[in-house]
Amino acid sequence: MKKILLSCLLILLFSTSGFALPQPQARVKQMVDSILGVLQHPDLNAEEKKAQVSGRVQEYLNVQSMSRRTLGSYWEGATEEQRQNFSALFVRILEGTYLSRIDDYSAGTVQYLKQRVKDNKAIVDTVIVSKELEIPVQYKMIYDADSWQVFDLVIEGVSLVKNYRSSYGEIIRQAGYDGLLALMGEKVQAMESSM
Amino acid sequence: MLVRIFTLCFLGCFLLVGTVAADDFDTAFGDEFSAAPAELIADPLQPLNRGTFWVNDKLYFYLFKPVAKGYRLVLPRPARVSVGNFFSNLATPIRAGNALLQFKFRDFGTEVYRFVINSTFGIVGFFDPAKSVAGVNVTVEDFGQTLGRYGTGHGFYLVLPIVGPSSLRDATGVFVDSFADPLRYTNLETLEHMGIKILDVENRLSLDRETYESIVRDSIDPYLFIRAAYAQRRLAQVGEDTYNVNIFEGPLFDTDLLNPFDWFGF
Repeated sequence: MKKILLSCLLILLFSTSGFALPQPQARVKQMVDSILGVLQHPDLNAEEKKAQVSGRVQEYLNVQSMSRRTLGSYWEGATEEQRQNFSALFVRILEGTYLSRIDDYSAGTVQYLKQRVKDNKAIVDTVIVSKELEIPVQYKMIYDADSWQVFDLVIEGVSLVKNYRSSYGEIIRQAGYDGLLALMGEKVQAMESSM
Repeated sequence: MLVRIFTLCFLGCFLLVGTVAADDFDTAFGDEFSAAPAELIADPLQPLNRGTFWVNDKLYFYLFKPVAKGYRLVLPRPARVSVGNFFSNLATPIRAGNALLQFKFRDFGTEVYRFVINSTFGIVGFFDPAKSVAGVNVTVEDFGQTLGRYGTGHGFYLVLPIVGPSSLRDATGVFVDSFADPLRYTNLETLEHMGIKILDVENRLSLDRETYESIVRDSIDPYLFIRAAYAQRRLAQVGEDTYNVNIFEGPLFDTDLLNPFDWFGF
């Protein structure tokens, strides 16, 4: 009987620890801490903060995976060049979106609720707690190139990738792939000129 | 014997937890590479909806937002938070009733508890000691969710004038919920009633941190972005208790009734 218990515990231990891989939750914490470190740095002005954060966010995102999931079936039909154009624009849109909301994210503290790991995928649940708001933020991650990388953010039940996939899919159906790229280009320019 | 029963229970628990977690995990990744791009919500009335969306957009920028800004100057923030608390407390019957209809006894208990505490210690709901002292957050329940809980789909997407994103199901829900609104059973004139609703809306807007503006600025097509976010948010609210129970901050957000812009919580 004791043996059964012991083996159960062992299985449990190994299944949750995800072999010898680094913990995805630790990776998310590292990302959040590094960004908050920049945001709360007293000697940097807004411009410098934005520049530094943009580089850091990219380190932790898997842009390729995000783009692929965003385009869904359209990814398969796209040429290599189209894919690259899309990814390049997409990352700038994500960045612009994130940076324009950066003040909202820098106010609170982040609590790490739990992590779930299965094979090379993981879900990390966190909640941003500030004085008046609690915003649940879930990170979906994939293990790639020797590190855990974020490929989707689910904020209060709304998946960013699903949102982009739904709206970009409709734009592709109406305006075609090049139409989407043109619109994205315009958006990026508008965003970056307003910063 | 006792040990054996204990062990069985112990193993059973793990099996149960294991399967539940696995299902949850797999659905979270389930539809990633579906052949067709996920249709989150049907939208046969899109031309009409886009028209209403356009009107709402203008109303927001040229009427409601400027009024909210003026209101912000008149009333300091703590007072506005209190006004929000008051309206939220007043809407308790809607949330409690829907929790009961869905057999969510925990949410029902939460609402009753909050109502008792906040109506008394919180001075008829202007303060929220249930949250600030006891840490019990408001729930998010409405009749649209109740319908969803019993398997009713959205029908189709609807953009309502002033109110904003909704659906056939959720608009029906708002109508049904209005019967549980205590204001309905007061002797107010129609104009007074409307005035109170407008105060509620403007008060929410005055506390909002430009959510709508950032969506408009950041997305290629705000209409599509908001539609997708609405569908996802409502799905999460219907499906999972986690987004309803304690994790979800509430005084600014309760029934979706006359709540055009606050539902998107970035």
